[in-house]
Amino acid sequence: MYRYDEFDAAFVKERTAQFSDQVARRLTGELNEDQFRPLRLMNGLYLQLHAYMLRIAVPYGTMSSKQLRMLARIARDYDRGYGHFTTRQNIQFNWPKLRDIPKILADLASVEMHAIQTSGNCIRNITTDQFAGATADEIIDPRPVAEILRQWSSLHPEFSYLPRKFKIAMTGSTNDRAAIRFHDIGLQAATNALGEIGWEVWVGGGLGRTPMIGKQISPFVPHEHLLAYLESILRVYNRYGRRDNKYKARIKILVHETGIDTIREQVEEEFAHVKGGVLTLPQQELDRITKYFAQPDYELVNETTVDVAKEKILNPPYGRWLERNLNAHRQPGYVSVTISLKPTGGAPGDATDKQMEVVADLAERYSFDELRVSHEQNLVLPHVRVTDLPAVYAKLVEHELAEGNAGQITDIICCPGLDFCALANARSIPLAQELSRKFASPERQAEIGDLKIKISGCINACGHHHVGHIGILGVEKKGTELYQITVGGDATENAAIGNILGHGFVVEDVPAAIERLVDLYISKRESADESFIAAYRRLGDAPFKEALYGNA
Amino acid sequence: MLDLATAPGVRAHKPDKLRELGIMSLNGMFDEMDGVAVLRQAVEELLVDDVAIVSSFGADSSVLLHMVSEVNKDLPVYFLETGKHFPETLDYVETLKRQLGLTNVIALHPDAKDIERFDPKGDLWETDPDSCCHIRKTEPLDATVSGFGGWVTGRKRFQTAERGVLPHFELTSDDRIKVNPLAYFSDADITTYKLKYGLPEHPLYNKGYKSIGCAPCTSVVAEGEDPRAGRWRGLNKKECGIHFDFNGAIAKPMAAQELNLFKDGAFIADPFRAWAEGDDAASVRYTHIPLPVFLEHREAVLANPHPVGLLVSPGDNVELVQGDLDRFSSIAINFPAFGDGRGYSSARLIAERYGYKGELRAVGDVLHDQISHMRRCGMNAFVVKHEPTRKALEEGKLATVDLFYQPVGLTEVPVGTRPFLRRALENA
Repeated sequence: MYRYDEFDAAFVKERTAQFSDQVARRLTGELNEDQFRPLRLMNGLYLQLHAYMLRIAVPYGTMSSKQLRMLARIARDYDRGYGHFTTRQNIQFNWPKLRDIPKILADLASVEMHAIQTSGNCIRNITTDQFAGATADEIIDPRPVAEILRQWSSLHPEFSYLPRKFKIAMTGSTNDRAAIRFHDIGLQAATNALGEIGWEVWVGGGLGRTPMIGKQISPFVPHEHLLAYLESILRVYNRYGRRDNKYKARIKILVHETGIDTIREQVEEEFAHVKGGVLTLPQQELDRITKYFAQPDYELVNETTVDVAKEKILNPPYGRWLERNLNAHRQPGYVSVTISLKPTGGAPGDATDKQMEVVADLAERYSFDELRVSHEQNLVLPHVRVTDLPAVYAKLVEHELAEGNAGQITDIICCPGLDFCALANARSIPLAQELSRKFASPERQAEIGDLKIKISGCINACGHHHVGHIGILGVEKKGTELYQITVGGDATENAAIGNILGHGFVVEDVPAAIERLVDLYISKRESADESFIAAYRRLGDAPFKEALYGNA
Repeated sequence: MLDLATAPGVRAHKPDKLRELGIMSLNGMFDEMDGVAVLRQAVEELLVDDVAIVSSFGADSSVLLHMVSEVNKDLPVYFLETGKHFPETLDYVETLKRQLGLTNVIALHPDAKDIERFDPKGDLWETDPDSCCHIRKTEPLDATVSGFGGWVTGRKRFQTAERGVLPHFELTSDDRIKVNPLAYFSDADITTYKLKYGLPEHPLYNKGYKSIGCAPCTSVVAEGEDPRAGRWRGLNKKECGIHFDFNGAIAKPMAAQELNLFKDGAFIADPFRAWAEGDDAASVRYTHIPLPVFLEHREAVLANPHPVGLLVSPGDNVELVQGDLDRFSSIAINFPAFGDGRGYSSARLIAERYGYKGELRAVGDVLHDQISHMRRCGMNAFVVKHEPTRKALEEGKLATVDLFYQPVGLTEVPVGTRPFLRRALENA
């Protein structure tokens, strides 16, 4: 993975010093809160419901064990002993004290981490496939380009005061695990007619109060011109994006109101000026960065498969874990392991300091010192030898990290909600906990199969409810928390936004309503191989609506 | 006659009412054009042995010096040897001394310690012209004239709008008398006088210099322009601080004005002002014309002989004026609120794509933490009102990150062996 050189280290050091100076100026009153807020935000510091929240960047979701250990230490020393992994592959701490922030940032800098641009109206952390560089279904490892984009977007002087935040996601695989169609810019690795690899570019996707599926703006941009192309998009957005209304300021609104064809023309015109200039990415530089992401020294192993069926009989929990939590690796004899942060009754995405240390140890010992954060709020050991799986599993069991539920109904994406967030209208974590208890039975989950539930505590949709197979949105109506249920959303390459089928439910009625949807699906599916989302696409809204609201 | 002068060196703090009335009545006694009589009155009646004559030996100085020679060739004539004069001016001093027979021309030099302290590199005129005038002109002159009860100047009413009501005699706020024998002389009168007495021209006069001061701060004046427009051109500065105003108060030195424009490492007086309702695009000067106004009155602005600027606000399309940018002495990028980042794109287009080389300034909500971004996008001057930001700039203590990942702009240099992405601020 990428390692800081002197330049990166000096950069982060300067930025930390700069922010310390800004904090000092805020404390003396030289900066008022209006002037301080954007600076604070651009350094990942939010003022939440109860306290400050610090969001730390995990560039494209990749970390070393040393870095995760530092996060564990910060959780223990400066927070309440846990951290929360987010849908943007970052981690946030909910209880740091303002006076500790400079110390935390200095600690982070010592392990090549920072909180730069984890919020604010700038280009946010670049996210990607949690199995990047490891998965068998990949056209190209997206991480070198992601790292180049990270560098290009860090403190970009032209794009630090955009109309609104700007999120870029990329995937090197045709199986989109990074939700690229729901980002301001989505990059999909593509091959052109000459067999060259480059990027298909999508623009104007997003969730929030106006969910939009991204539109293709270019079918193919070669690596060397990617920065120029992205700068062209950003410039068009910076100049023409709406600034009159915060809720209409994302690029998705510009694309929607202007039309993708006009936006494409504007971008192409800008691109014609910028292309071939200083932003042209030399192959040499791409090669240099790519070296950091060289494949680890895999061992040639005889045993390349694991007999899941046999394990399911011998040790059912282990068998289920093998069945659900492994992803096929490009290297025979290896797999990528998803470590679920969705235990029964737990808060999705939370990990204690001890758990982080355990995962760091496992990464160091069994995964070439590498680990990942997934946008589904789990952790991943990307390169684990098949023969090491029993040992890894045993360790996970000890620390309640061995839930074999990846991709199942209890693998819920959930925002912090009203328990933490100043924007939220409704609680979301307690509902996720309740659902995970209701569907805790492994047999029941296995029967249901792939089903993604996503919960947001407000319209800003941090919990991605629009793209849940079943989405749950907390709203507040006349002082009561109500939950709107959507069906049919999909964050993958088959991108779809879920439909609202009727009125909302009070919190006590939500689990039963979800159960009715699940029961309906099981009764109507053609076979156990037809997933919830596939059945929904075949059946349409009507039966699901009836399941929710009766035959009224 | 009138015994109005007090003893040399003893100055009343409060002007005497009678004295004021006496000075006023003196102003009615002489024919407007009879400068010699005015000078004679001052030298022989009003301020006997108590008057200094100050001459710049500039374009029009020969007329007053000729009058001096008519009255008394031994009168002390002070010349401010600022050290920044054109060589032609120094030659001209010798020419006039010789031709008019002046025996007592005294050069006043700036204090060497002041120069060492404030202008060691000799470039103060560039960063802070007011201070430059102060140490090279005001200070040496003050030290000299404070020993006299009055002084004679060569100022004329026609020279600038501010001097339109100049009288022959003025009482200053520190109770001295300023004598202006040429107060009523027009440009034509000067020319006629010079011709009548065969006075030599300043060698630079026929090269287009109509008002001549120190070399760095004097430029050629266009046909039809105010003759003093060539002085401190581009700066909102009309007087050097050594004159006294009409009402008798010492003219406020420019240095005391608000210095809002941060440029080349220092705050300086801003020669430009904002466009105002009722301004005429064809005749405004030192004004930032809003881009939409420029588009509407393009021909008039292009025909306007004065220096003008362009104001680019968020939403303005700089593409529309790309061919006209060189017309402007200054382009202002407007940031109505610091969170509106459109100006960064406008600035990059102007500086990088259209190759504009002049002053590109940020105006509006210009704050500490945005300035380094503005600089990287090509802005080279900042109008700053936020006091803490001014302080940080003055002290050179801007909190910035001077290591750059992405190539932006024209001035950033590659660091070390990395040709592509990583750059550092020049000289950082």
